[in-house]
Amino acid sequence: MVHYIGLLLDDSRLEAIKGTGLEEKLTTLFGGQVKQLIMEVPEEVSKKILAEFPNARIDSRSFLEDLPVAFKRALFQEVVNKKSLGAEVIEAVFQKIDEIKDLAAKESEYIPPPDIDTSEI
Amino acid sequence: MVLLKTPPPHGGNLVDRVVRNPDRAKKMADGCVAFDIKPTMLDGVPIRNVYREIMSICYGFFSPVDGSMVRNEVERVLEERRLLSEWVFPYPLVFDISEEDYKSLGVGEGDRLLLRLKGQPFAVLDIDEVYKIDPVDIATRTFGTPERNPEVVKVPFDKKHPGYMIYRSMQPVVLAGKYTIVNEPKFRNPFDKFWFPPAKCREAFKEKGWRTAIAHQTRNVPHVGHEALMKNAAYTGDVEPCRGILVNAIIGAKRRGDYPDEAILEGHAAVNRFGYIKPERHMVTFTLWDMRYGNPIESLLHGIIRQNMGCTHHMFGRDHAAVGEYYDMYATQILWTKGIPSFGFEAPPNEVDYGLKIIPQNMAEFWYCPKCQEMVYSETCGHVDMKQKLSGSFIRGMVAEGIFPPNIIMRNEVYKAIVKWWKVYGYPFVNPKYLEEKDKNLEVDLPPMEVSKG
Repeated sequence: MVHYIGLLLDDSRLEAIKGTGLEEKLTTLFGGQVKQLIMEVPEEVSKKILAEFPNARIDSRSFLEDLPVAFKRALFQEVVNKKSLGAEVIEAVFQKIDEIKDLAAKESEYIPPPDIDTSEI
Repeated sequence: MVLLKTPPPHGGNLVDRVVRNPDRAKKMADGCVAFDIKPTMLDGVPIRNVYREIMSICYGFFSPVDGSMVRNEVERVLEERRLLSEWVFPYPLVFDISEEDYKSLGVGEGDRLLLRLKGQPFAVLDIDEVYKIDPVDIATRTFGTPERNPEVVKVPFDKKHPGYMIYRSMQPVVLAGKYTIVNEPKFRNPFDKFWFPPAKCREAFKEKGWRTAIAHQTRNVPHVGHEALMKNAAYTGDVEPCRGILVNAIIGAKRRGDYPDEAILEGHAAVNRFGYIKPERHMVTFTLWDMRYGNPIESLLHGIIRQNMGCTHHMFGRDHAAVGEYYDMYATQILWTKGIPSFGFEAPPNEVDYGLKIIPQNMAEFWYCPKCQEMVYSETCGHVDMKQKLSGSFIRGMVAEGIFPPNIIMRNEVYKAIVKWWKVYGYPFVNPKYLEEKDKNLEVDLPPMEVSKG
């Protein structure tokens, strides 16, 4: 059975995939305002991911959810690097899995905030 | 049709037990035995601080309750959800201390105890009665059981339920009697901007011309689904929609993964500051209370608080103030539609003697319909198979990843309120650092006050 990972895209991520050909693979939600890339994940790979991150789960849509932010960020970076949503992307992420797990372990304490101006609040 | 008016406070009058004259306050506190308020702890984490109850009682949010309840009143509340004065009230509220503290204080009936908070005098408790409780019994009867309350309780309450654990973790000795605040706490930023005790809130309604107002309960940063709920629920009223929407956040003990209280308040305020609901119609406030997650029981408290604040209506959703699946997901709506006899309500709480005057507005869900191309009400839109729900976990995942949510999910300025406090605590949600600082700082500071020792 195939599972999925949804990579949500904001403006900065959309900019990052410009010219990679991935724009054509975008799917949308909420009247086109939410854009995402959907990666197919073979069951044996999703098992491997679930083994690495115990809080992750597969939801009713067969999407892998509650993945660490560090994993999702690394995944997106490799998607951009490889200009692909294929199996080689997750393979590349797994090359750095120890580093990602270290970052993920710290995620209950610290996640770097986005660099946006909040002075109007 | 009769035009609605601001309802009277629950019980007839707003409780105001705050001494604002410093000389009188000092006289009341001088010579008293003093006790430093301690949080109720569970596994090293504070789950309740009774100072919040004292504040909400003395400033009138819980009117007509005016202190820590005597034994007979606790029994009456547990059996019938009524005070000794007959008025409806959902929860036992007590000042509990350990046997050791009781022995070392050496106080009894007729004594006045000075309660200190953050090292300063805060309030006095005039002790009318001292008695013992069985915290497990109180916890079980507070929330109900499947056997005693089969209409809505599905499974027995256990250690996973935060409200049940608040009662179970209480100390065994209760000092009952009236509280009086003798040293008014000063709210820290940003809480100070949203502090509207009932008397002040009613004044604000008068100034705004809010003859009718609907209350919105929150413990969350608002997404657009919440905004749609507020806007649409407000269409109830009398000959016109409600003139005001009162957001009243419950501020108290936090759990890991919650949004920080500061982001919740400033997130809601951003909805009106940036015009998504104009400030003439929308106002953000809070009540200090360590939420018990009692679904129908909690909804009674919410109704009382917001009636005391001056609201004519209250919106109640599915799984109102709920956690887990202990209660039927519609328990609150059942209570306000036909009553729950086993909890003392043969009829809805606004149709019984000594009941509430606030009018319930039971609401279903809002989601995005791609066919209608707008946020829709679940009971109205015919394209249910196409629904796109604004799930909390979906938005939380987006927030955690640092993805700027599109305006149709969360307003830009609301998201910025999250990020503002994310920068302060290094995390978008409640983390250990937040819990530690919250426990240390609370929401208030106490001005220095000299009193002679007892």
